[in-house]
Amino acid sequence: MNPLGTPIYLRRNASRTLPLMGVIVLAVLLICAIVSLINSIPLSVKTIYKYTSLMMGVTPRGEADRTPQIKRIIEKECPVPIGRLALCRASSTEVQALVGKWQFVVIAFDRPDLEYVLKRMGTTSLVGRLPEVGRPEAVISEPVSRNLKLKLGDILLGPDRQDAYSPQNVKVVGIARTSNWFMFADREYYTMNHFPPIDFILVTAKNPARQAEMDRWALRRFKGDRTQVISYLEIERQANEMFKTLYKILDVVIGILVVVITLMMGMLINIYLGQRTHEFALLQALGYSTKTLVTRVIKETALVVIGGWLLGVICSIAMLNVVDHWLMYPNAYALDITDRTALAYTIPVPIAIFSAALLTLWTRFRRFDPVGVVERRLV
Amino acid sequence: MIRATGASLVYRDHEREVFACRSVDIEVVPGEFLGILGPSGSGKSSLLYLLSGLKMPTSGSITFEGQDLHKLNDAQRAETRLTSFGFVFQYPYLLGYLNALENVMVARPEPGFREQAKALLFSLGLESKQGRLPHELSGGERQRVCVARALLGEPKVIFADEPTANLDHANGLQVVQLLNQHRGDGSLVMVTHDPSMLAEADRIVRLEDGHLAP
Ligand SMILES: Nc1ncnc2c1ncn2[C@@H]1O[C@H](COP(=O)(O)OP(=O)(O)OP(=O)(O)O)[C@@H](O)[C@H]1O
Ligand SMILES: [Mg+2]
Repeated sequence: MNPLGTPIYLRRNASRTLPLMGVIVLAVLLICAIVSLINSIPLSVKTIYKYTSLMMGVTPRGEADRTPQIKRIIEKECPVPIGRLALCRASSTEVQALVGKWQFVVIAFDRPDLEYVLKRMGTTSLVGRLPEVGRPEAVISEPVSRNLKLKLGDILLGPDRQDAYSPQNVKVVGIARTSNWFMFADREYYTMNHFPPIDFILVTAKNPARQAEMDRWALRRFKGDRTQVISYLEIERQANEMFKTLYKILDVVIGILVVVITLMMGMLINIYLGQRTHEFALLQALGYSTKTLVTRVIKETALVVIGGWLLGVICSIAMLNVVDHWLMYPNAYALDITDRTALAYTIPVPIAIFSAALLTLWTRFRRFDPVGVVERRLV
Repeated sequence: MIRATGASLVYRDHEREVFACRSVDIEVVPGEFLGILGPSGSGKSSLLYLLSGLKMPTSGSITFEGQDLHKLNDAQRAETRLTSFGFVFQYPYLLGYLNALENVMVARPEPGFREQAKALLFSLGLESKQGRLPHELSGGERQRVCVARALLGEPKVIFADEPTANLDHANGLQVVQLLNQHRGDGSLVMVTHDPSMLAEADRIVRLEDGHLAP
């Protein structure tokens, strides 16, 4: 084996190369964790309210008697073929997100509409049954049951619940298997028991791919009207808007982190290279050109840096898997364990460290006098 | 083979010029053992660095086999040093993370030189120590590893700058003898201030204050 080869150096100097790799692994781990967890917040918004991308809600503001009028406008003017138009009632409740409680809506349908909507939500199977007409019963989706820890027979809404009020105890009678979040109840029970007595309208596009087009039309058509359009487009736009500042802060934090780690690593590499002055001088005196030596050190550094990064990525994915398994999935919190943006945020780490190494290498070899070292005039 | 013509080496010490070598004319003949003797500070090391291409002459020229060493580029000059020259320095510099055999191989890392490296360690009495790291060797043993490193690949010229300075007299003599015995057809240029080390030399030149003494 070549005694000056990269493997032999890295292996025999493990006490130097492993700490360097360790710092890179920790940096990548840290950045991946921060970015993934922060990304999980807007991802949660989008996951929890994803069902609104499958249908659009339109409701009059204040005046209950405007509903038929709105219905007529949609039926007459909407340029996108309508799949179904349902009148419903709603009450508010909350779901648990990683950063606190979020508003959610229990929607109450007539039985035929309920069956249609469940299918539209991608339900593959139902455990239990559908709410009976006029009864305080609800069907919820599987992620909601995980999130609120609700089993069949548990109470979803009740008279003594501030945030999930209903005059009677509303029991979960069905759990639908699908990735979408929803809570549906019976409209007749709502009409008889809930306030305000406003019907609102849910409209689906015949072709689900054209739902966004329908939403855009409605947002334009009812703009300035005393009508509210509830659409995934709006929710997505608001989420992105809301987290803009958060991401700016994140960029600054990660930027500082990369700079600090790079400075630390630059200093470490500089010390290590300083300790190798005798080696370089000897090799140069024996007949190795500066180019050969620099290439050798670059290879060693590249291997450490790229190896550390790869190891960091593997550790990050492993760690996120663990977090997902133990913390996120049981609560139905959204987490992307192979978050591309999180990985992208870690790329500056190896690049900056490698650049720092090149810089120290260049300053060291620019005016290097092997004779001075071999003669012990300089160390 | 190596010829210095009017070679001078001037160091700039603040504003003062220090002449380490003053227009030295000397030739190293193939196969000879050339001793360079002189008091401390007379410019012995400087002359050796000039002859071996480690330093540029301020004026004059150094040729190796008719080729001006300082007209070669860095890579070519390095290649000449690696393949045609061998070096023993005053301090037995070895790479701390390599064992004795690997340190010898540093002079010629190609696998083809492995057997020769082992044979050299054997003839220098180090066959049982070839797997040891430098810090597990004595000073004399370290210098013998350096000697083996200088001899590997049968270089045309071996340069030795006070290789005995850090050793006791007996060990010092042994190192010189080993160098002389195993150099084959190569020349040996050795710098020292101790005349007793040059008993086997074919020719001895004296340096005084950067001049070759007549
Ligand atoms: N880098 C340098 N800068 C300035 N002056 C130097 C430098 N190197 C050597 N000199 C001077 O050049 C002269 C010759 O130095 P050199 O090292 O060649 O002497 P030497 O004969 O090898 O001495 P010694 O036997 O002590 O090793 C000395 O006067 C020394 O002070
Ligand atoms: Mg000297």
